[in-house]
Amino acid sequence: MLQKQVGKYKLYYHGDWDEQLFTKCIAVVGSRRMTSYGRRVVEKIVPQLIFDGWTIVSGLMYGVDQTAHEVCLECGGKTIAVLGWGINYRAGDKEQELEDKIVQSGGLLLSLWVDQAGTNWTFPARNKVVAEISQELIVVEAAVKSGALLTAGMIRSLGKKVWAVPGPITSSVSAGTNQLIATGLALPWLGTSYQAPLIQPHNKILNLIQNEDLDAGEIARKLARPMNEINSELSLLLLAGTVTEKDGKYYSALRDSRVTPSDQAKQDI
Amino acid sequence: MLVKIKSVAHVGLETVPVEVEVDVASQGFPGFSIVGLASKAVEEARERVKTAIVNSGLDFPPKKITVNLAPADLPKDGAAYDLPIAMGILTASGQIPDIQDLDPGIFYGELSLDGSLRATRGVLLVGLHAQKDGVKQIFVPIESANEAAVIADIIVLPTRNLKQLIDHFTAVKSIQPLQPVEVTELVESPNFDTDLGEIAGQELAKRALEICAAGGHNLLMWGPPGTGKTMLAKALPSILPPLSPTEALEVTRIYSAAGLLDSGESLIRRRPYRNPHHGISAAGMIGGGSNPTPGEVSLAHLGALFLDEMPEFPRSVLEGLRQPMEDGKVSIVRAEAHVQYPASFTLLAAVNPCPCGYLGHPKRECKCTDKMIRKYRSRISGPILDRIDLHVHVPAVEIDKLTNSSVNQLDSKMIREKVVEARRVQVTRFATDGIYTNSQMGNKLVKKYCSLSSEVTIILKLAVEKFDLSARSYFRLIKVARTIADLAESDAILPTHIAEALQYKQIS
Repeated sequence: MLQKQVGKYKLYYHGDWDEQLFTKCIAVVGSRRMTSYGRRVVEKIVPQLIFDGWTIVSGLMYGVDQTAHEVCLECGGKTIAVLGWGINYRAGDKEQELEDKIVQSGGLLLSLWVDQAGTNWTFPARNKVVAEISQELIVVEAAVKSGALLTAGMIRSLGKKVWAVPGPITSSVSAGTNQLIATGLALPWLGTSYQAPLIQPHNKILNLIQNEDLDAGEIARKLARPMNEINSELSLLLLAGTVTEKDGKYYSALRDSRVTPSDQAKQDI
Repeated sequence: MLVKIKSVAHVGLETVPVEVEVDVASQGFPGFSIVGLASKAVEEARERVKTAIVNSGLDFPPKKITVNLAPADLPKDGAAYDLPIAMGILTASGQIPDIQDLDPGIFYGELSLDGSLRATRGVLLVGLHAQKDGVKQIFVPIESANEAAVIADIIVLPTRNLKQLIDHFTAVKSIQPLQPVEVTELVESPNFDTDLGEIAGQELAKRALEICAAGGHNLLMWGPPGTGKTMLAKALPSILPPLSPTEALEVTRIYSAAGLLDSGESLIRRRPYRNPHHGISAAGMIGGGSNPTPGEVSLAHLGALFLDEMPEFPRSVLEGLRQPMEDGKVSIVRAEAHVQYPASFTLLAAVNPCPCGYLGHPKRECKCTDKMIRKYRSRISGPILDRIDLHVHVPAVEIDKLTNSSVNQLDSKMIREKVVEARRVQVTRFATDGIYTNSQMGNKLVKKYCSLSSEVTIILKLAVEKFDLSARSYFRLIKVARTIADLAESDAILPTHIAEALQYKQIS
């Protein structure tokens, strides 16, 4: 069994050990009960972080954690998963699949145990490791009582920087992150969303879904156009990668990134 | 004296001639027995017939009476043999003149203890049997007689009670035959419970319904509770093409065999809509019983079968749908009978996004874990999902967001006209292929009738990569695009058609 000392913890690991991975680590953690807002936040911030050279650290739990790993892998970034269960324990098919992908991509799996199943005391212990190896932390969606908030507390006590992504005040899974910001325990992570895209796209549908996600029916209603036309146009935009669809809702994939001339060409389909 | 009276037995939708032989012996101990594989209901005819004859003011002969239902090896069920048995006894005991030489026709009906005839199931099938066998008249209960009114070349004599029959045969007062009715007179009935125009919003689902009706594609709607999935499903019959006279007769046959026609009803004129509860058993869905009766799939023949909350149905019931969905008919094999019922229906399924139903709801919070959701979704097996061409999201609608935009304000009548036209095109296209709709195309026919331009191929190729489409869903996509093109009255499948079809792909 492969084992290494990291700070004060002795950790089992899978994958090729690379000290480089640990030089610039940021943890992205959050609720298991991620909303579509949470997913979009992750899809937006993780690519930026990778671009800035960060290694994404998270806990491989379903919800925000898994999404952070997945988005990171899709963008070709490096990621470290600190497991809340033993290194050889099989938590589930989806988890197993993701673990394999992380190892294949040159990332690492870390754990404090070998065959331990995930249970109520393993997760807080796992959070301590996350706090140990990360230099900074971003909390995406967390309820008032949640593991993500505990991690935030630990990392703060280590004198490291804590960010929280503000969320809707109506959402219980954003209550914790908003509270962190309100009480000054975390800095608000605003990304670069205050920067308007340099070029406004000309497509009516794209304009419409720039600032809110809508389902296909709503788009047809707002533009007062027949459903069949909207449907075929949405498919073409999806194929071009200019819009994203999740659970029947559409949103602009270009929203916050700077629009390049080639993107502009795609939108004119 | 021995008397033979004609009647009919049912095996599924098939009919078999039965001869009711009644012998009233001049010697022997008084008694009354029925032979010829009679079920409990037929056995009990003894008590009904005896009492009915006495209560009609006639004599029940105190002699040895033997009734044989021939052929003797065919199981007989139901109370419809009451009337022929009673007629046999009355004739054999000389209370009415010997009618055998007159070829009086078929007698069919259940007796009440007071001597009147009760509504009896299967009268339409009896009429069709008479027509086929060249029997010229049938005596049936007055309440069910209308079923047979549409059958040409036979005389239907609606009978109220035994007394009336005696008067008829003793030439006191004849029974008036039923006025025959032309099938075409009855077919059109444009009144429907639910019109698509009544449903606010849900443009996407309405468009999907339109495609579903036009091409006979099965449709799965998923979305939180209370968003109108049931209403949408109910509206499907209103946009399906009207039943043709042959189709109407086919549907009515099934309902007649199941005894589900209202008394006085003659022909079913609307396409059926069935929505069985998820507590249904496999036999209830497919059909069953020792003498198999039609199940929900057959009662939905040529119409819509709606399964609300599909994952809640037992797996065995859902898997049982595979054969009828593939073949358009269902074979039921039991120890005593092997019957086949038609079951060519359009499947409509409604699925919640998660067990609690509120995943992705704008206002309410979902409390399901990832695992619960995955488990819930896996309850519908791959083979069933593979037979559903259209998948559509029916989101929660906030009423105040609904503005009236005239473009998408369609009512059932307008959509129906387009559907009828699209179906007409398909019937012409498949004239030599033995199918009627695009959804029935096999891969070979897809290649034959759906030539794809290079532009369309590029979109398909992109889609296969982007959405990871399997070969099966690739063909499904083309079939749906073919229907969309038919609705647009276009001979070729254009890029916009295939792009729209992509919107209805399976949601993983």
